[in-house]
Amino acid sequence: MDPETFISKYEPRKMVAIPLTVLAVSLVILGLTYMDTGSPVKLGVEFTGGTIITVPTVESEGEIAAKLADYPVLDIRDVGHRYMIQMGPMDDADYRQLSAMIDAEYKDPEIKYMGPVYSTRLQEQARTYIPLSFLFMAVVVFIIFRTPLVSLMIILSAFSDIMIAAACMDVTGVKLSLGTVAALLMLIGYSVDSNILLNNRVMKRRGRTEEKVSGAFRTGLAMTSTTLSAILALFLVSTFSYLVSPTFTQINILFDISVVLIFGLLADLMNTWVMNSNALRWYMARPKKSARRQRR
Amino acid sequence: MTEITKDPRVVIFFVAVAAALIILAPVPSDGGLHSRLKYGLDLEGGSWLQLKLHGAIIQPQVDPINILDKQFGDALDRPVEVEWRSENLDYLITVEGRASKTMVEDLGYPQATVTPRGNATKITITASQVGVIMNYLETSLDSDVKYLGPDPLSFEVRSNVTRESLEAILAEVGGTLAPGDAGFSEGVTEETVDETKQVLDRKLNRLGLQDIKVRIVDNKFILIDLAGVSVTDAQEIVGKPGVFEIRIQTKGNDSMHVLYGDEIVDVSLPSGDQGGNWGVPFTLSEEGAIAFQKAAVETGATRSRMDHEISMHLDDDLIFSAPLAQDLAASLEVAPMRNMVAQIGGDSQRAHELYIHLREGALPVNVEIIGSGQVTAALGEQFKKQVLIAGIMALLAVGLMIFLRYREPKIVIPMVATSFSEVLMMLALAALLKWQLDLPSIAGIIAVIGTGVDHLVIITDELLYEGKMPSGKIYLARLSSAFGIIMAAAATTIVAMLPLFGMGFGAFKSFALITIAGVLIGVFIARPAYGRIVGRIMQGGE
Repeated sequence: MDPETFISKYEPRKMVAIPLTVLAVSLVILGLTYMDTGSPVKLGVEFTGGTIITVPTVESEGEIAAKLADYPVLDIRDVGHRYMIQMGPMDDADYRQLSAMIDAEYKDPEIKYMGPVYSTRLQEQARTYIPLSFLFMAVVVFIIFRTPLVSLMIILSAFSDIMIAAACMDVTGVKLSLGTVAALLMLIGYSVDSNILLNNRVMKRRGRTEEKVSGAFRTGLAMTSTTLSAILALFLVSTFSYLVSPTFTQINILFDISVVLIFGLLADLMNTWVMNSNALRWYMARPKKSARRQRR
Repeated sequence: MTEITKDPRVVIFFVAVAAALIILAPVPSDGGLHSRLKYGLDLEGGSWLQLKLHGAIIQPQVDPINILDKQFGDALDRPVEVEWRSENLDYLITVEGRASKTMVEDLGYPQATVTPRGNATKITITASQVGVIMNYLETSLDSDVKYLGPDPLSFEVRSNVTRESLEAILAEVGGTLAPGDAGFSEGVTEETVDETKQVLDRKLNRLGLQDIKVRIVDNKFILIDLAGVSVTDAQEIVGKPGVFEIRIQTKGNDSMHVLYGDEIVDVSLPSGDQGGNWGVPFTLSEEGAIAFQKAAVETGATRSRMDHEISMHLDDDLIFSAPLAQDLAASLEVAPMRNMVAQIGGDSQRAHELYIHLREGALPVNVEIIGSGQVTAALGEQFKKQVLIAGIMALLAVGLMIFLRYREPKIVIPMVATSFSEVLMMLALAALLKWQLDLPSIAGIIAVIGTGVDHLVIITDELLYEGKMPSGKIYLARLSSAFGIIMAAAATTIVAMLPLFGMGFGAFKSFALITIAGVLIGVFIARPAYGRIVGRIMQGGE
């Protein structure tokens, strides 16, 4: 569709309602997850404590499950030529025994153990740092724009990006890990990019608002599509490269980062170009106070 | 417009890219060509341990008289009378009937004298008030306790205790803890953390391991990275003590085995006397004491002590050697002795080292492994290949997208080249500053490719706003408007990344660092030059 018609075809207020509805649905999903699990996004092993092991698939899932019957196995999954086994918390002696056994029986095992002290600390940090990061961003946006309404729109859009990305995590079963936290923080930075571009174009240039918005939209689309393509490459290699080579496997940490960024970037497309652009159209079209004063 | 090659932005850019290429060029080392890039454990193979030191710093409020009253009353199962004699600086304990010296020793007062007097027994303990409190804490907590200072009286407990358990122990002798965090705070002193780190360093060095990194976080966490070691071995190294042996000189350079470290039941913190002589008190088991006496008598060390030095070895390294003290030699003639002091002389540092060794390289505080893991070298190699492919694919995908958008080689080529140069500069900076590239940092680089190209698109589109490249003032105004946008975006990205430095012991520090570095390189080096170059190319094309 031609961007110009897309931008100006519908009434701003109706358009703004769409992203706001998506945000509301996301908040409901996060709220329900919170009531269900005590956390708005499901926590991964890093945050709950436990052990993750990956070993080459030399046997069937049943066989490896039998071998690990004495340990608190939560999940065994084929991640491409390797099994990823997640286990709940266990005591130090059990863990030592487990790691020695895994080291002895398998070639190239990957082991990761997070004790309760580590995970509790991480939870506390996440609770403090993610809001802090958002606050920093908000302050920077306010300093740059100085117009409260515009700043609030940009901040709302970033907030919405993160909430929608987090709700997508809940829906698709991606759990909170250090990787996903990093990606959520990265989104805070990303989401501001296109919004700043849009606001700059619309507020500081002369001309018809619709034209300026559609010009910015073309640029914004190019920006998001390049970023998305880079992240998509990361996602494909970390997730599906094992289909190409028998030695490759999934890389969780990269999967976590890329998938959250993809959710967030798609949300950002909507929030910037459906919500923010229409809000700006409305803002620019409102009767101006200064103009009224002049008339008197 | 000035000649493009003289523009400082362009010059800086090309110098930076050239420097990056030089830095990244493989250099011959270890008989092959290697790049200067350092890789993290998840790409290089190795294991890591995250340890928490158990301990607390406490301020007890308790009367030592009550402590002795309870300790001796309980041990003898009858009432005792305790008196502090300030003129002698000792405690006098009087009890009906007899009391054995062993009982007193078992309570932790080896220097006490026990004198039967009529129907009663008088026990004299030369100990300070601090000493009594410390001894009580040590025996009832079964843990080392270190005296920190008198005002307010504070100690460091070197094991996993809770406020509740301590208060219960103190309540038994009518005492309590000072209120608030001052009375009880989890953690240990900086010296203790350092001491623990030293012991670990020494253990790891003795094993000849390369590339060990031991870091301290918050005075209670120690993080160890071990390249090329499995996590099972790493845990064993940290948990397993060395082999400690006491030997006695027989003739000339020959010596014979007396006992191993398992016969040492207790080692106290080094103490200095008024003369500044330092010693490390330790206690032998009963069997150990008998073996020690037997060896001393048989070799003749009790009579000619200077010819038969006692030596201590840790993993076959000599760490201490001295003749028997005169009074000890005399005592050993008659009976086995359990309590001894290894006298060092005036060097408190050496006393501390000996203390560490006497504990067979055991850590000064209890540690808990709170996190650990491993990636083997072969798996790391595999990951390396995969992320390299991911990086190349990301660049290609980005190139394709901008080609689809602009379909103009004069824009596409400089854009892709600039994006690639940013990656080169990021890698070079990482190599220069010896940052370790790990999986998160690679993800960071790819994310920066994404934002970097965003910014190049902003610059290009601002410049080509009217469909063709302007020149002169308009060109400069457009350029500065573009930079206004990308600077703002860069600033928000940087502040949003800051929290990652502290999270999870800095597991994602590398991601934050490389992202921030990439953003800065982009906005200050690569993108200004791109703005000039693309402007020149497009203007020249008309």
